[in-house]
Amino acid sequence: MAARSGLRASVRTLRTSDSIYCRCTRPFSTTLQSRYPAPSASDRTKTTHFGFEDGVSEKEKTERVAGVFHSVAESYDRMNDLMSFGWHRIWKDHFVSSLNPGASSSNPPKPQRILDIAGGTGDIAFRMLHNAHVLNSNPDVHVTISDINTSMLSVGKSRSEALPASQQTALSFLPADATALPDAIADSSIDLYTVAFGIRNFSNIPAALREAYRVLKPGGVFACLEFSKVGNPLLNAAYKRWSFSGIPMIGQLVAGDRDSYQYLVESIERFPTQEAFRDMIVDAGFVVGGDGYENLTGGVAAIHKGMKPLKSSS
Amino acid sequence: MAPTRAFATRLALAAASTTKSTRSPLTTTACLRSNSNSSRRAYHSYDHPPPPGAFNSAERQILSAAYGHVPEHGFTHKALSLGARDAGYLDISTNVVPDGPFSLIKYHLVSKREALAPRSAEIFNAPVGGAADGTTPDAAAGARGQLLTVPERVERLTWERLLANQDVIHRWQEALAVMAQPSRVPASLHELALLSDEIHHLAGDIAVDPSWYTKRASLSTIYASSELFMTNDRSVGFGDTRAFLRRRLDETGSLAGALGSIGQWVGFTASAGLNVLRSKGARI
Repeated sequence: MAARSGLRASVRTLRTSDSIYCRCTRPFSTTLQSRYPAPSASDRTKTTHFGFEDGVSEKEKTERVAGVFHSVAESYDRMNDLMSFGWHRIWKDHFVSSLNPGASSSNPPKPQRILDIAGGTGDIAFRMLHNAHVLNSNPDVHVTISDINTSMLSVGKSRSEALPASQQTALSFLPADATALPDAIADSSIDLYTVAFGIRNFSNIPAALREAYRVLKPGGVFACLEFSKVGNPLLNAAYKRWSFSGIPMIGQLVAGDRDSYQYLVESIERFPTQEAFRDMIVDAGFVVGGDGYENLTGGVAAIHKGMKPLKSSS
Repeated sequence: MAPTRAFATRLALAAASTTKSTRSPLTTTACLRSNSNSSRRAYHSYDHPPPPGAFNSAERQILSAAYGHVPEHGFTHKALSLGARDAGYLDISTNVVPDGPFSLIKYHLVSKREALAPRSAEIFNAPVGGAADGTTPDAAAGARGQLLTVPERVERLTWERLLANQDVIHRWQEALAVMAQPSRVPASLHELALLSDEIHHLAGDIAVDPSWYTKRASLSTIYASSELFMTNDRSVGFGDTRAFLRRRLDETGSLAGALGSIGQWVGFTASAGLNVLRSKGARI
């Protein structure tokens, strides 16, 4: 009987979890909104959302996301470990090894150019360099780390100094907005475009996907690692409980910044489902294989891949 | 209508009619079932269009080019990469193939299974029944029935499918190892089930009793073990494998016969025993 009532309680949690979290409110003094001036009328033309807050202009979202990452840059990696119990390393390792950058059928191996968007602290870029240079013995792989946020990039720069010299020379840093990449990155010049845990912060995701399509070579691959929707309701209940109660609390205790982490979990909640995001990738012109995505840890994170088709077949 | 898979078809029809009925507690499950049927057809139907192919055009281009490299490089990333290059793609483009080398194995399984229908039409010199060309299954079955019995056709088709492995048989043990990885087992078993289903369908087996399941299960086992035998077969034209296959199929036939006889004996003895007890006055 005790077991049954426990089960009933958990089912109730499942039913109501979404509505609870959608209604959650914070005192006005602690929201990020109070730190920033109200958007001017001209910015109101194109709106997006910031966490659970709607009607935020794209420009304002860009600024506020920048604010979040400026404030978390220093503690970002430590927090990632605490929030995901270290599991984000496994996801990232799997992401990079499944992409297998640097692998080439030719001898000598063909050069590759990789663009790691929102890769500030270099987690993905360093793994890709290791995979390409060490495991695939392909020294002609160049990685450009791009991030809109200079604080995150400077963390990455200082971390890259611990790398072997050959890998440091194959690395470059580019502060840029992923929705409008600078001319330094030419059309059809990139083999692999990666974005890990970044795309949900973009103010305009379809625009970023179109940019990705533009800079990739025909046959080039767009790969995205991002938090997604959990399929199993029991796991989902536990996961939601952790992300909405645990993560902001850890953010407050460790990084002294609850609001930034509150934004992180809200932005995860607002991100589209695996299928919806796969359709966005297809709409941008990419070809996807199979389901078009791969769930990690029951859907807590998901890898989406798309290939820019060859001109003849498109 | 006498389709091969009438048993399953009726189930699906029953599910569809349940969906139309009002507010029954079964409605949700029926909806779920019809949803899953619309995406993946689990049986050969004459009333539904065939499901979309397992691979899209880009995947097919890369995989078909890569398949040519399998005899030399095995079911590996290297073969995929060479295939991508042959098809005019970049090295990194192999990422569009979702499961890497396993997709290459799946491509082999799917393409050889799909090649079985035209091959069977060739062998039995009769049109393939059903969705492919619209001939009625009865006519096709009738034309083929003149030549061979169903078990003989099953043996012949299984042998044809095994022969389709001969170009890659020296790499097949590696492929079996990949297919036996825990995360790949469900997909591999699904392909095996589809194959034995296809063979029975092409052989014109129209049984809709519970033997529908036992036949497919036993053929799956026999096919898998024959395939394993074939990887170590060095005889000319894989003669030993064919002998092995025949022995296994005969055993199944005799086992099925023996089980049937035992069942009959048990049934008879039980009812006779019951009648003896009744004649003694027991109130049964």
